[in-house]
Amino acid sequence: MRQIFYLVQKEFRQIFRDFSMVRILFVVPLIQIFILGNAITTDVKNIKIVFQDQDKTPYSREFINRFVHSKYFKITGFEEDYTRLSSYLDSGKASLAIVIPRHFQRDIVLQKKPDIQLLVDGVDGNSAGVSLGYITDIVQQYQERLIEYSPDLSLQVKNIRRVETEPRFWFNPNLESKLYIVPGIIALILLIITLFLTSMGIVREKEIGTLEQLMVTPIRSYQLVIGKIIPFSILGMLEIMISMGFVYLIFGIGVKGSLLLLLFESSIFIISTLGLGIFISTISDTQQQALFVAWFFMIFAILLSGFFIPIANMPPVIQHITRLNPLRYYIVILREIYLKGTTFKDLIPETLAMVTFSTCLFFAAVMRFRKKLG
Amino acid sequence: METDKAVSVSKLSRHFGKFIAVDEISFEVNRGEIFGFLGANGAGKTTAIKMLCGLLKPTSGEATVAGFSINSETAKIKKNIGYMSQKFSLYDDLTVKENIEFYGGIYGLSREKISGKTDQLISELNLDKMKNSLTKSLPLGWKQRLALSTSLLHDPSIIFLDEPTGGVDPISRRNFWRIIYEIAGSGKTVFVTTHYMDEAEYCNRISIMHKGKIIELGTPTGLKQKYNKTTMQDIFIHIVGRN
Ligand SMILES: Nc1ncnc2c1ncn2[C@@H]1O[C@H](COP(=O)(O)OP(=O)(O)OP(=O)(O)O)[C@@H](O)[C@H]1O
Ligand SMILES: [Mg+2]
Repeated sequence: MRQIFYLVQKEFRQIFRDFSMVRILFVVPLIQIFILGNAITTDVKNIKIVFQDQDKTPYSREFINRFVHSKYFKITGFEEDYTRLSSYLDSGKASLAIVIPRHFQRDIVLQKKPDIQLLVDGVDGNSAGVSLGYITDIVQQYQERLIEYSPDLSLQVKNIRRVETEPRFWFNPNLESKLYIVPGIIALILLIITLFLTSMGIVREKEIGTLEQLMVTPIRSYQLVIGKIIPFSILGMLEIMISMGFVYLIFGIGVKGSLLLLLFESSIFIISTLGLGIFISTISDTQQQALFVAWFFMIFAILLSGFFIPIANMPPVIQHITRLNPLRYYIVILREIYLKGTTFKDLIPETLAMVTFSTCLFFAAVMRFRKKLG
Repeated sequence: METDKAVSVSKLSRHFGKFIAVDEISFEVNRGEIFGFLGANGAGKTTAIKMLCGLLKPTSGEATVAGFSINSETAKIKKNIGYMSQKFSLYDDLTVKENIEFYGGIYGLSREKISGKTDQLISELNLDKMKNSLTKSLPLGWKQRLALSTSLLHDPSIIFLDEPTGGVDPISRRNFWRIIYEIAGSGKTVFVTTHYMDEAEYCNRISIMHKGKIIELGTPTGLKQKYNKTTMQDIFIHIVGRN
């Protein structure tokens, strides 16, 4: 027991001796929260759009005007030459091209249903889908106006309204992606800090030979593991609180739910990152190797967490694989507590999954660590 | 009968894949003896020492250290030995005092004992002015002596030193050997590897290792008589050259 105390004391002395470490702990989350929180946005705004108006009538101009006045669109140009439209999409000058056919006005008046052509840059499928939604909205409003002002229709017909939906988004009323993304960033910071610290910290001792020196002392490998885990868990918890503080200061987003619950769930998540860190240390001989391997695992964990790519959009096999990823549950839990103030009772399934996979990972890693130390 | 042998090795081997680093070596080390391990680079000295310290499992063979088997009782061995590895292995980013405190704590010494030992070591090593400096700022010779002292904190009966004086100036080396004599004088067994032939002369007995095998073992005087040479250097070149 006393051995563990000395290990932890030594670890903290080393961590805080080195100023760069303190910098990593405080400045990195600040920068990440600030930049990522502002940069990663799934809100689609300022969609660049190019028009080809083959009709050039009051009707077509009215149609275009609706786009001019929408905050979602930004008109980058009008192109006369149909064959050159695709070059706008290729060069990224526009992500959307709309072609208004000749006789647009005439066809509407004659009730012949003119067809508008849309060319959408589908590279970013997410944004493309969102812009289509906006366009449908605009077209629908345009149509309603046409009906309203149509001289031939009786009042009765005009008053026939289709079913209208008026969605109201709870918990994140403006569907602001910041609100949704920021808890995820906190999870990533926690993952990065604890994973890298643990794996590099152990491998460093391997590199400089102190691990070998420790192995000739009567110390047991489980004590060694605990001696590493305690300081890094404490740092992880500290990191979470620092990050939450920054999130509040920068974005004014506070935790809706229980802070205690949030820390409890975080400590379960940390078990998995520490375990992974220990595992990485057993397969790396140098800090560079550890860095590389940790990077590799981190990318996988993030890609398969649903943070950037919605899990529902993944192929079914991959969707099943994401179930093994503790980060997936942790991000959900963090969002729930942060945005909705969800209580523990409703988080039990995620918590159980996270406990299961975290502890499995952890014990497998520790077994391997002990075996490697012989 | 066993008690007067600090180390007793029988047909100990270690393979790395197809490569045989240590090849069925057998020897014994008496209590209180300074036992030297000579050999060119890659002879297998470090590998042999690591097996004796319980850091590396032998491929075959048996050995006892302080009366305990290296195959089954490494935990007991660790309580009774000190080890100073070929690499400097104190924490560079801890102060002298913190290093001593840490290793004392790891060896399970009481708090009072640690602070007593710390004061004693610091005055013995004349490190009073440096005790709160980072270990990395010490000259190499002092670092080595500090490492030696910390490996003795728990009062082990046998101490393994793997090239303790590598890269150190002659004066520091002589001082270092003075300490080794003091250690042996206090009844501890010293097992030391070296490349320096003059250091070999200071040992009670030496063994010469070559390509994983022990090819000669005896007292420096005995070997000089046997090969009719005046220095260990000549003997070493003669024997290793012959093989
Ligand atoms: N973990 C390992 N895997 C493979 N080969 C190894 C390993 N450790 C040592 N060896 C090889 O075993 C041989 C003996 O190495 P060892 O370190 O025991 O030599 P040494 O006598 O201590 O040499 P030096 O004087 O350079 O320290 C060397 O050829 C070395 O390359
Ligand atoms: Mg060696």
